[in-house]
Amino acid sequence: MTQTGAVVVASSVVTGLVVVLLLSVGAAHVARRRREQRNAARRAALVPLVYTLLDGEEAGAVLAGAPAVLDEVVLHLLPQLRGSDRKVLQDLLVTRGVVERAAADLTARAAWRRGRAAMLLGSTASTAHTAGLITLLADRSSQVRCAAARALGKAGDVAAAPHLLAALTAERTLPSGVVGMALLDLGTAALPALREALTSGTAPARALAASLLGLHGDLHGTPALTLTLADDGQPVDVRRAAAEALGRISSPRATDPLCRALTFSAEPVLRHAAAEALGRIGDPAAATALVAGMAADDPGVRAACADALGALGPDGRSRLTQLADGEGPTAGTARGALDALAVRSARLHPMAG
Amino acid sequence: MSHVLVVDDDPVIADLVAFRLGRLGLQVSVEFDGEAGLAAARQLHPDLIVLDWMMPRMNGLQVCQALRSDADPQLARTPVLLLTAKAQEPDLERGFAAGATDFVTKPFSTRELVSRVTAALPPGSVVE
Repeated sequence: MTQTGAVVVASSVVTGLVVVLLLSVGAAHVARRRREQRNAARRAALVPLVYTLLDGEEAGAVLAGAPAVLDEVVLHLLPQLRGSDRKVLQDLLVTRGVVERAAADLTARAAWRRGRAAMLLGSTASTAHTAGLITLLADRSSQVRCAAARALGKAGDVAAAPHLLAALTAERTLPSGVVGMALLDLGTAALPALREALTSGTAPARALAASLLGLHGDLHGTPALTLTLADDGQPVDVRRAAAEALGRISSPRATDPLCRALTFSAEPVLRHAAAEALGRIGDPAAATALVAGMAADDPGVRAACADALGALGPDGRSRLTQLADGEGPTAGTARGALDALAVRSARLHPMAG
Repeated sequence: MSHVLVVDDDPVIADLVAFRLGRLGLQVSVEFDGEAGLAAARQLHPDLIVLDWMMPRMNGLQVCQALRSDADPQLARTPVLLLTAKAQEPDLERGFAAGATDFVTKPFSTRELVSRVTAALPPGSVVE
């Protein structure tokens, strides 16, 4: 065969392969579209039956044997409903064997199957598989560990709280944000575990527990948070989290310990958090400490003190005005805070003045 | 027959709410984004609007504010029930400040939703 002939044959083969490839892609695309259309039609037919079931009517027998596309609808609805509605959908998933299959997949060889099973069990909000999900918190795949943590939060079994906190410092750790989301999903039922972690947990657990107690506005957590803030032996991150939490809880009982942290701490990050918290609480008793804080070397601490004074009402604003009359960085920070207050006021009351 | 407008960008939730309210003998219209919801409210003058907060184009708060400042006094007074996953205290404050009449927080119960819709409509509007 001549060289030209070989080139022609080769190009014909390549062209043929390209055509076959294009035809295969086209066929797969058409098949997928048909499958999607078929599923959409099935979904459209099944969704009213789910609504009927939620309305207390008998549709379970039909739905128990319905195609798998029904599970997508149920799993989509499940996290958005509660009470008897949620129970009806959970029962439907159990009847269809979805929960049983997912539970079996928790120990599957493939990580994606373990992760998917965890997510599904979380979506079913069943507490029956807490132990299996807790085991996955130590899974070799970080994605599976995250999926298990989120699932434990959604499942709502408060027994998982100590395990989630322990996962912060386990050999195979979980990010604090993931654990925090899961603990928040557990709701106020997790508060006792968080209070316990604040006093006896590891440092990352204490910091996270403090933050979450603050987000919950847990008034009962105030004494333990105050002790944590005042404890010089605690890492600064933990003390800062306690200060922020006390600000969110906004109990005036925290004013004094926060003033002390602002006045005596050597850590700018802690002083900053204490000043911010005092601003959130808005107790005029903090004015003197905040004015003193305006002399701090750290510009962040000065700014936080100025903003907090602005949040104390007329007395705080009057003190800011006095400070603004002076010279130097303190006066400049006070003027900046007063300007910010004026802008905020103009936004809130556009017709005033 | 009382008329309820349901606005939610999640079609499964919008349809579920519409289905449940339809069974109460209410006339129900559904829209899937805030802008379309506001337009429908101006056109249909519903007796109640069930409004999702997080939506594309216009969110529930913006729709609520637009309704409350509408030139049509009847529309400006239409009760609005916000259906939302935002359940923190500041969120409720913002919702009420925007003009919401009441809240149903997600995850929600259709029974609670029905109770709140019934309470927001004139007596006798709902057939249980």
